[in-house]
Amino acid sequence: MSQEIEITGLNKSFGQGAAAFHALRAIDLTIATGEFFTLLGPSGCGKTTLLRIIAGFEEPSTGVLRINGKDVTGLGPDKRPINTVFQSYALFPHMSVAQNIGFGLKMLGKPKSEIKATVAEMLQLVRMEAMADRLPSEISGGQQQRVALARALAPRPRVLLLDEPLSALDLKLRKEMQSELKRLQTETGITFVFVTHDQEEALTMSDRIAVMSAGEILQLGPPQEIYNAPVNRFVADFIGDTNFLRLRLRVKAVAAGEAVLELPGGKQASARLPASISPPVGSLVTAVIRPEQAEPTPAGQGEMQAVVASATFFGTDTHLHLLLDDAQGFVLRRQNRPDQPSPAPGTKLGLTFAPGALRVLED
Amino acid sequence: MMGCAVARSRFSITRLPGFGLIAILTFVMLYLPIVILVAFSFNEGISQSRWEGFSLQWYQAAFNNSQVRDVSLRSLWLAVTAASFATILATLAALGTTRVGRFPGQTMIYALINQPLMVPEIVTGIALLIFVAAIKVQTGYTGMGYLVAAHTAFCIPFAYLPIRARLETLDHALEAAAADLYASPIQAFRYITLPLMVPGILAGFMLGFVISLDTVVITEFVKSAGQDTLPTYMLGQLRRSVTPEMNAIATLFLALSLMIVTAFFFITRTRGR
Repeated sequence: MSQEIEITGLNKSFGQGAAAFHALRAIDLTIATGEFFTLLGPSGCGKTTLLRIIAGFEEPSTGVLRINGKDVTGLGPDKRPINTVFQSYALFPHMSVAQNIGFGLKMLGKPKSEIKATVAEMLQLVRMEAMADRLPSEISGGQQQRVALARALAPRPRVLLLDEPLSALDLKLRKEMQSELKRLQTETGITFVFVTHDQEEALTMSDRIAVMSAGEILQLGPPQEIYNAPVNRFVADFIGDTNFLRLRLRVKAVAAGEAVLELPGGKQASARLPASISPPVGSLVTAVIRPEQAEPTPAGQGEMQAVVASATFFGTDTHLHLLLDDAQGFVLRRQNRPDQPSPAPGTKLGLTFAPGALRVLED
Repeated sequence: MMGCAVARSRFSITRLPGFGLIAILTFVMLYLPIVILVAFSFNEGISQSRWEGFSLQWYQAAFNNSQVRDVSLRSLWLAVTAASFATILATLAALGTTRVGRFPGQTMIYALINQPLMVPEIVTGIALLIFVAAIKVQTGYTGMGYLVAAHTAFCIPFAYLPIRARLETLDHALEAAAADLYASPIQAFRYITLPLMVPGILAGFMLGFVISLDTVVITEFVKSAGQDTLPTYMLGQLRRSVTPEMNAIATLFLALSLMIVTAFFFITRTRGR
């Protein structure tokens, strides 16, 4: 697979000297052709700045940006084979849907017949044929979203940038557009760079995710890896729900990347230990386990013992808020089944989990 | 129910004693003199206080008065010219103060542009009189240029305000989107910014036009002999005798202003969406 976007040693700061704000620090990143790549992080983490630098709306303070092997640093947005779907859609209010979609091609100086054909094709691609002559103010938010997509796709860019494009839609429409986006990406084969703060959106759509915080990329990998093997506390906390436990390290490096921890109640369990950290034996470490990766057992059995403090019903499943033997809290996700009512507060139960579910994390 | 209770207990100025009376008096003061002026423009006799029957004779007199025709045409020409120049300059000023990011002295420039809104007109008038007199002595030129320049400068803030207001509501992302879609800066301006500014520009032109048509003080101090506009001519006539011919001219003047203000209203409302 060839490299579509190549970013090396990129820094971006706003302001000068001691008052300077470092929006991006030492970003190195390659995005492959045809990839659905997501920049994920809380607001202010630098993901939108990075997107704006790729689009050409901002210049990096230092570093190089290559698109399809060509250095585009210093080129304006109108000189890059990249189009953007804006968070606010930014549809031109005085132009019809068709004129909006055809704008990029018109600016590229394409002949009228070609513009007409491409616009028709794009309208069909986003299923908006019936709306061609409407003004943006005359269509719904979801339809505006489709038009914004079609407008950005019409010039056949090498890369499509999407800046939180689904954040203004309601939940049901958002779900629809998620699969729509994925379909469009597969059909067109264009590289998508998607910016979001919604971890679920990132997990369901992306080929790879870069989790960002404070201007840095903390972890880069496929959704499964990000979810199952978060590199630090921030990533574990930001992606999905997780239980953080303070546990004592008993044995280090049983095998490569493995350790033994002492659980509340005294039993010992093996946990994965990333090679990057090396806490001393006998010290307290932070370990994580996902709420759905532990299972309830009858009281007295399993690795840990717990008491149900409360339960929250979520439809498909119930979150049981438990207190462990040493008073640490633990959330257990239990799928709802009509034949198994969820245990009442005060119920004692045991907990077991698959080997490898428990991970030691860098603090 | 909660919402209603809150709304009912909120302070409402309409329930103060005398509110209705003050409101009615205000409207009477605003409109009754104008209604009387218009009514007596149709009076058959010369009286401004006794109705003697309906007639269009004062309109006829006004139309047949070649002096009235001359000053009306001069007023219209001056208003169109000054409002055009003012609108062009105001458009550039509005672009400069809203589309280039913050720069030092921005608020200062904003205040400077709006000078005519803050400096009393009579001060500007006297200043212009002295200034223009000096130039006249030096150059010997006594044409309409002085009036055009003075009216243009005076109209700029009135043209500037609606244009700037329009630009401020324009999403910067639209221009970014145009650039993203391969439009050069000039194309982005030509296809996106300018068309979207049009309602503001039209509104600015109309306001400037009405202001120029209306101003007495500036014209009075700047004009040379034989450069009366309609307002200064009427002022001159009123010093001698008040005939309903003046009512007729004022009524026509009012009709023109109303038409422009109505057009202004519809343009900003329908195109401003």
